[in-house]
Amino acid sequence: MAAPRARVEPPSAEQAAFLERAIQQYGKATYNFAYRLAGNEADARDLAQEAFIRVYRAWRSFQPGTSFLSWVYRIVTNLYRDELRRRKGRFQEEIPEDNVPQQFGGERPLAVTPIDDYVERQLGEPLSKALAQLSAEQRQVVVLADIEEYSYQEIAEVMGCSIGTVRSRLHRARALLRRLVERARQQQR
Amino acid sequence: MSNHITTDLLVDYVHHELAPEEDALVHAHLGECAGCRREVENESALTDALRSAAAAEETDMPSLVAARVWETIRSARPSPLGRLAVLLRPAVAVPLAAALVIGAYVAVPLSHGGPAPTIDAGYYFEQHAAAQVQYPLAERGATLQPADRAALEDDSPPAQLAEQSNVGVATVDFISAVR
Ligand SMILES: [Zn+2]
Repeated sequence: MAAPRARVEPPSAEQAAFLERAIQQYGKATYNFAYRLAGNEADARDLAQEAFIRVYRAWRSFQPGTSFLSWVYRIVTNLYRDELRRRKGRFQEEIPEDNVPQQFGGERPLAVTPIDDYVERQLGEPLSKALAQLSAEQRQVVVLADIEEYSYQEIAEVMGCSIGTVRSRLHRARALLRRLVERARQQQR
Repeated sequence: MSNHITTDLLVDYVHHELAPEEDALVHAHLGECAGCRREVENESALTDALRSAAAAEETDMPSLVAARVWETIRSARPSPLGRLAVLLRPAVAVPLAAALVIGAYVAVPLSHGGPAPTIDAGYYFEQHAAAQVQYPLAERGATLQPADRAALEDDSPPAQLAEQSNVGVATVDFISAVR
């Protein structure tokens, strides 16, 4: 069956109110989530904009009592993935996850960085740089698990994958982060 | 390493994702092993660092974004089917369709002389299609996730979808070539 395709229609009062409230209450969270995924403001703006247009179009499919933010995050996640595919001309997620640069692959990194170094040495910048070096999926898992404090189950729902995949992506992402942050820290010396 | 806790397990532990028994075992081990304790503290510190870095970067959504969203929506022109759908919201369309279907069986008393009205199948399906445009997922079951719904309502033309799947095939080839 050819799926009927909804078009953007001028808003009814009810639909406009829904969108208005969504932007007011969740615009900031949505934008920041998009920013963490994309890593730059221009893409974050585009993602947030497109996400709220989707919210508007699909507003009736939102079920009251469920998490609006999870719904929007899922939309942003899908938009971002589609955008990556478009740009890179390939499916990012089909690339084996262990296909990371040689120097980071293989053995488990030694997580011996003292706490003080993380906390006191203004790791904001190295961390952002390290985050940017993760694969899109790894970055999403880290953002959802560590910044948004989602459970593995919730992340699986947002990303449309299994809990096992969430778990292994997070493990790998954090191992990479530790390694990258450690390296950045050594270079600062 | 046999008795120590793996880093992966510690990551699950700090995210409160272990089953109760496993969680208890890890907790007990941490009580008596300084090495693993140090490692779990590093994991927590990494999470804290990620969180505070994110908080430091947090900004309001630029007002431009909302403005563009509204602009996109307000500049949209209703499609013919969409206009039909508005007229035939399910609240109207479903009872109407039902009445028409029932009418097919009990039409005679309603008709004032002349032949009983017959239901034009084309008309019924047109209405049904209109209702579907309004609620594209009404018949697709409740298991569909909201974002899938959004994806279904994507405006991108079918040609583009085909193009994307071709890219996917090419990627698979690329990956197997790399392997
Ligand atoms: Zn130990």
